[in-house]
Formats: sequence, C-alpha cells, structure tokens
Amino acid sequence: MVAFTIKAIDVMAIEKTIVEIIEDLIQDWGLVLDERISAHTRLVADLEFASVDVIQMCVAIEQHYGHKMGFQDLLMKNGSYVSDLSITQISDFLTGRI
Amino acid sequence: MTTRTLFIGMDGATFRILDDLTNGGGGKPPVMPFLSRIYVQGVRGKLRSTPNPLTPPAWVSMMTGKSPGNHGIFDFIRAEERGDDVFFTLYDSRDNRAETIWAIASRQGKSVAVLNFPFTAPPQKDLKGFMVPGFVPWRHLRRNTIPGNLYDRLKTLPEFNPKELAWDFEKEKQSITVLSDEDRENWIRYHLPRERQWFSIAEYLLLEEAPDLMAIMFDGIDKLQHQAWLFLDPAFQAGEVGEYHHRMRQLCMDYFRQLDGFVEKLVDAAGPDVQLFMASDHGFTTTYEVLRINAYLHKKGYLDWKLMPDTEEAARREDSMFANLDWKNTTAYCRTPSSNGIHIRVARNPGEMGIRPEDYDVFREQLIRDLEDLRDPKTNERIITRIFKREEVFPGPAMEDAPDLLLVLRDCGFVSIKNKEPVVEQRKEVAGTHHPDGVFFAYGKGIKQGDIVERRNITDMGATLLYSLGLKVPGDFEGQVPESIFTKQHLAKNPVVMGAAATTFQTKIEDSVDMSEEDQNKIIAQLRMLGYME
Repeated sequence: MVAFTIKAIDVMAIEKTIVEIIEDLIQDWGLVLDERISAHTRLVADLEFASVDVIQMCVAIEQHYGHKMGFQDLLMKNGSYVSDLSITQISDFLTGRI
Repeated sequence: MTTRTLFIGMDGATFRILDDLTNGGGGKPPVMPFLSRIYVQGVRGKLRSTPNPLTPPAWVSMMTGKSPGNHGIFDFIRAEERGDDVFFTLYDSRDNRAETIWAIASRQGKSVAVLNFPFTAPPQKDLKGFMVPGFVPWRHLRRNTIPGNLYDRLKTLPEFNPKELAWDFEKEKQSITVLSDEDRENWIRYHLPRERQWFSIAEYLLLEEAPDLMAIMFDGIDKLQHQAWLFLDPAFQAGEVGEYHHRMRQLCMDYFRQLDGFVEKLVDAAGPDVQLFMASDHGFTTTYEVLRINAYLHKKGYLDWKLMPDTEEAARREDSMFANLDWKNTTAYCRTPSSNGIHIRVARNPGEMGIRPEDYDVFREQLIRDLEDLRDPKTNERIITRIFKREEVFPGPAMEDAPDLLLVLRDCGFVSIKNKEPVVEQRKEVAGTHHPDGVFFAYGKGIKQGDIVERRNITDMGATLLYSLGLKVPGDFEGQVPESIFTKQHLAKNPVVMGAAATTFQTKIEDSVDMSEEDQNKIIAQLRMLGYME
C-alpha cells in the first residue's frame, strides 16, 4: 500500500512536469484548446503534434531531467511507431526511468 | 562596449560564383559591390572543407576547430542498426563531442551572439550571450533560443516572423515531389525574406548588445546553388537564354545583391574597429550524372533489396530508401546519399549479422577493388575517383561512427541509394553539388589588404575567431591561425598564444530518440530538395 502510494505520487509529479513542459512547448502555436492540458490529453488528437514536435518534446523532457530516456521504447510498439500518446502514457513510461 | 569580431557564414559560397558577382564588366556595376571592396581591401583564399564536404560535419568543424573523427558529426542523419532493421535519427548538438568556440569564448568572459548555425540546438543554457539555432522548426524556436527572454524581445521587432525565419519542413516537403519551373522559382523567392529575418536579428543584437563576437550564418546560397546552378554558373550564361532562364538569373542576382547589402550593414553596425571574417563550409561545382551506389553493390552481391508489398505505405518506404534492404543478405551498403560513404556490416557479437571481424581487412580490400572497377564504358574513366578508408580521413575517438569507406565521385556529386537502373546515368539537367574548396575572407583592423593567401583548412576558422577575440587557441585544436592574413604590426602586438585543451564530451548514442517514418520522410524531402538525393 505504501509503495503504491509513493508510486502514485511519483506519477502525479511527473505528469505535472510533463504538462508544464508541453504548455511551454505549445505557447506560440496559436492552438485553441477546449480544456486545460491534463493526464488524458493526447499529443496528436488534442494538441496537433506532428512527429517532429514529438521529437522536440522528447528532447525537452531529456533536457529537464538531465539525461536521455530511450524514448524509442515508448514511440515504437511491435516494430511500428505509435500514432498518438497521452500525457499519462508518457509519465508512466518515465516513472521507471527517472 | 563594441563588437570585436564579426563572423558571417555563407553556406556553400564559392569563388566560381563570387568572382563573377564582384566583377561588374561591360560598364555595369558588380552585383556585390561591398564584397568587391573586400576583394581589394581585405584578404581572401580557398578554404578546404571536411573530407566529405557536407554541411553537418563542415560547420561543426568550423565551430570546434576539430575534424569529424573528433567531433563525431558525420551527416544529417545518424543510423542505428538493430537486429534486422535500421533506425534513423537526426544528429543534434548533444552528439557533438567537441566544445564549440562559442562555449570556449563564453567561459572566458566574452559575449557571443550565434545565429542560424546548424547543430547548435538544443543550446547550451549557460552561454554568455545569445543563440538562435538553425535547423529548428518555428514551433520550437522559442525553447531553443537563449537567453530565455530573447524570443520575446525578437517578437517586438517590426518584421519578425518566425515562420519566415525558421526551417519550414512542411513547405519543403510540399515543394519537393514535383520541382516544376514554378516551384523552383518560388523556392528562390522563399529565401529572400528568410535571409532578411536573420539579418534583422543580427543587426538588432549588434546595435543593442554589441557582443564581443557576432556570428551569423546565411544558408540561402547553398540552397540557391543546388536548385539554380544552371542560372548561376558563368559557364551556362553564354549565348541566347530563354525568358525563364533570364528571370531566374535575375532572381538569383536579387538574392546576392541583398546579401551583399546585409554584409555591408552588419559591418557598419559592428563599428570601425571590427575584424570581419567570412567563410563557407564547402564550395560548389557542377554535377552531371547520377551514381546509384546501392544498385551497384547489389550487382556485386554485397546487398539485397527488401521485398515490399504493392501498397502506398510500401511505396513511401521504398522512396525513403533507408530501411528497404534485406539485412540478412547485406554486408556493405550506403546509408544516406549525403554520406557518400559505405558501411560494412561486421558481426562483432554473437547473433549479429555481417562479416566476421577477422575477415574485415580482406573484405574491405575486395570492396575497394570492386568500387574501382566501376568505370565509364566510353572512356574507361573511374566513376569513383577516390576511395578513402575511414582511418585515413576520420581518425579520432568518433571514427567508429563514420562510414568504413568514403567515396569521391568524378563530378563531386552525391550518390543515389535508389533501387533503380542504370547504375550510372546522365542527369537531364546539370545541377549544383558540393566542392571541397569553399571560401574565406578577412577584412578590417589588422588585416592585410588585397592579398590572396594559400588555401586554409576549415578547422582554422575556429582558431582564427578565438584569436581575433584576443583569446588563446586551445592546445588540442587541429586548426591553426592563418597568420599570413594579418599585418606584421598586428601580429607583433597580438601574438598567437596556445592555451589549454578544449573540453570534450562523451555521447550516449544508444539512448537517443528514434525518428518516426514521417520524420524520416520530411528530412528525406529536405535532403532531396538540397540535392543530396536523386
């Protein structure tokens, strides 16, 4: 139970960081968002990310945490590139790597 | 506070074009009158590029004073072999193992402004000064611009437009598939306002901040010369030309006329005591044929093509030319056209595919002989005139990432890696391609006048700029200060002093981010537009 609680806190903290990074990333894009960025926000469907934007986001996250994360493990599933990612998926991925 | 050193990078500039544009002739004024003045009142010479005269390794050598085997940037795209597939990713500043002159100057208290240089993103956060990197899409310029408030300051400039300023991958992707006359004309028009954007930032920072070193790179020259060589090279201007040719020529002249004005205004803004240095990362020449190197290697039994289904997605992959090899049956191949190199697959660990390590030397010698055998059937001339082993041209700690062989084609062209016949084919229309000899100029206080000096190496530029700033040249720099460009009085007062080694970095390539197929295609489109792909 204790371990679960700590993990939940970690994920929440990472989610908050990712949201902040993405908010910073998109501030000049001129997007009109229906709601604030949250754990359920999807990069492509909700924020109009192109794949080059995903790459830049990965660089921004790596810069924030100070090391590379091996994002290919998140971006590729079964030999294909994923079509979209949610904030939750990103923070879950990062939980074991920070 | 005044700017001591002004460095203007001119991507791809060559004396073949500049000599023409600085020489009025026929009673007409020259297209580039300010550069004409530098010809008379400054010093100029050829600048030998990196072994593969290509933007990424060359500019990074310029910025670090070191060769590619030491800084580790060999191409636009870095490939990573993984089992039976190969993944591609863009190089970025974190892959550069050598300290840049911007960082060296900065940590010694000099302020710098660095505009539009490739492989400077993501930027070093503690740089003393200003950086707006090149090769960054507009949506990511803010985050890659330092210091943090600079982007908002730039937004206050009357004509600031990040979409004009930055690399526009989408625009270039759209214009790539069919390069009609109209597309080509628009491509050239696109670069006129783009260069003005960069100029405006440089002028603003010079006037407002007067950094010790102002460095700006104009990359439109390279892009024009790839696409509009026919309208620029003096060899193709003789005789009657059509209306389109005439219009394109005038458009190119507008570009160079504008650039000349920018250089003059930047020199004026920097003040009377400034030393101006200008350099290109490589020169340019005419390419008249296509060599499909992987098709040749296939014929010789070194590689096999991957069988693809007849689908749209497969067609895109086929066009990308990157991951379409049957890796189980491939021992040697060319990864990217811009690399002009061949990688040999060596099975260094159990389960890996490729030749046995102990067979490497014999295998490579046979490969070289096969490449030498590729000849023009009419003249018996070799198509690949020089073949370098990587230890000959890329010595250093990063050599393992370099191609095993570097090829120099008889027309200096870049290879094609398409699965297409014939192996060698004449181009329907000549195009521009990179030549190993670029240019450099020096002008201003302490610089000789009217001299043409011996050819220098691209690594010399970093040493020269640090010297101009009054700093010691790092002891591990491969480049040297070309003392022959300075007056005796200047050298007596300011002797060249060597200092401690610059910082080197280790990179963890295995942890980097892979590119999606869409990204790969965008970059491929970009490279093709620049002439690196067939």
